Amino acid sequence: MKSAALWLAAAVLLSAAAFVLGEYHNDVYRKLLLWIALALSYNFIFGIAGQVTFSHFAFYGIGAYGIVILLFYAALPWPLAILGAIALCVVLALAVAIPATRLEGFYLALATMAFAQLFIVVLNEGGSVTGGTGGLASYRLPRIAGLDLTGRTYTVVIVLLVLATAAVLRRIDNSWFGRACRAVRDNAEAAAAMGIDVARTKVIAFTVASVLAGIAGMAYAFVDNTVNPPIFGLENAFLLLFMVIVGGSGRHAGAVVGTVLLYLLPFVLSPLIGQHHALVFGVLMVAAILLQPRGLIALYDRFARR
Amino acid sequence: MTPLLEVRGLTKRFGGLTAVHDLDFEVRAGEILGVIGPNGAGKTTTFNLVAGTYRPDGGDIRFSGESIAGLAPHRIAARGVMRTFQHNRPFGGMALVDNVLVGAHTRFRATLWSIVGGRAHGEEARQRAAAQELVSFVGLAELAHADVTTLSFGQGRLLEIARALAGEPRLILLDEPAAGLTPAECARLAEIIRGIAARGIAVLLIEHDMHFLLPLAERVVVLNFGAKIADGLPAEVRAHPAVMDAYLGSHAEPH
Repeated sequence: MKSAALWLAAAVLLSAAAFVLGEYHNDVYRKLLLWIALALSYNFIFGIAGQVTFSHFAFYGIGAYGIVILLFYAALPWPLAILGAIALCVVLALAVAIPATRLEGFYLALATMAFAQLFIVVLNEGGSVTGGTGGLASYRLPRIAGLDLTGRTYTVVIVLLVLATAAVLRRIDNSWFGRACRAVRDNAEAAAAMGIDVARTKVIAFTVASVLAGIAGMAYAFVDNTVNPPIFGLENAFLLLFMVIVGGSGRHAGAVVGTVLLYLLPFVLSPLIGQHHALVFGVLMVAAILLQPRGLIALYDRFARR
Repeated sequence: MTPLLEVRGLTKRFGGLTAVHDLDFEVRAGEILGVIGPNGAGKTTTFNLVAGTYRPDGGDIRFSGESIAGLAPHRIAARGVMRTFQHNRPFGGMALVDNVLVGAHTRFRATLWSIVGGRAHGEEARQRAAAQELVSFVGLAELAHADVTTLSFGQGRLLEIARALAGEPRLILLDEPAAGLTPAECARLAEIIRGIAARGIAVLLIEHDMHFLLPLAERVVVLNFGAKIADGLPAEVRAHPAVMDAYLGSHAEPH
């Protein structure tokens, strides 16, 4: 009951922000929320399941391109397009996970990086289906169940999406499956001795996280009403990794804190030092890893325990 | 009556070395069977064959009538054979009671869908209570929510046992559980192992230390050079000339 009230309060407050902020800030806010959704699911695969993957942004892109292609190229009705885009994420996640999760650490990172690069190649070479290097543009969100969900309403849709992502991940994390993921991360041989099917656990964790990234991507497609290859490249995949590490990997709140900080930092720094903010990022990353390897959330823990 | 665990003609080779050769033994339901032998006798290899870490090169391992030889470790665990590790292997990122809950992995019935739908709370609460009880059974109740990295070696060993029990096994495999423990901890451990047998769970106890094992085991199998050289009651085994010779060195007293 108490937790239901907290979720409701969060939904109301986060939605209310959309009506306080102006047009431009709504746009920034929507993107920040989507980064948070991505960081939450990336934290699940990286921080909780311990798999170093770089395909998370590719799945964000698969969701985004998938929904646009299915709606406007294949001209499917929206419920089918949504299901189709989710199915596409599931199939591709399984196709990556089943061979790749046999790999560990460095090799898993390389395999998923190769997949992410391949995805960009497919986008660039996809002709009229993907729109090539220019991507797809000039489409609009159709009316869904007779509702116009554009503008500030769309911000509310994204707020609900982020909260749903957080709720799903929290429930999974607090279940036997979340414990199995952590056990596999901490000691795969001991996990197997407890009856955990290590390969299966890794595949499911990867697929769940990748599908959640894909769903966030579907929402992203109608933020700018354009999707193009550079957005889904490796640069952002690394930024996502940094957000989770700086915030505190393995912790949902850490993912949120790291994302808010690293997403908003350029807005603060750019007017002061221009493009050099990338340098500040690098220094900040190294400092965070050296000084606070358990992330900013560990600082909060220490403060809260007093 | 068929024994709970039946090992027949078990053989394992590593390159040119035969670590276990044509080994036969059985564990009856609810009993404590000790396996002893000098270093290199094949104790740990036997343990790893039963637990599924190694595949046998010959012979069979049957658990309640069905062959488990060559099955993956997680499948063997799911059938009711749980193990501990000689070198403690806790899951470092979790509290003690959550480590024990990982041991209950195969006992959970909730699907991912019901978890996402928020319909798995009842089972989670029941299992958590059962895990808490096991934590108390091994005497770590005050540490239930402690970070496992703060446990002493002896406490870590007790966690290993509680975690294995959480899988509701019919057979528990203990790999040199007394290794590295103080005499006081050994005494407590012996009590806990008797308590496990009293719950009707069979115990296969691999042990180097005869002093610890002989008063505890109901029957003892002695290995040397990968083969069985004696099998019987602790008193019989202790007096067996081949055992005196192989395990203790000739003319030596059991220490």
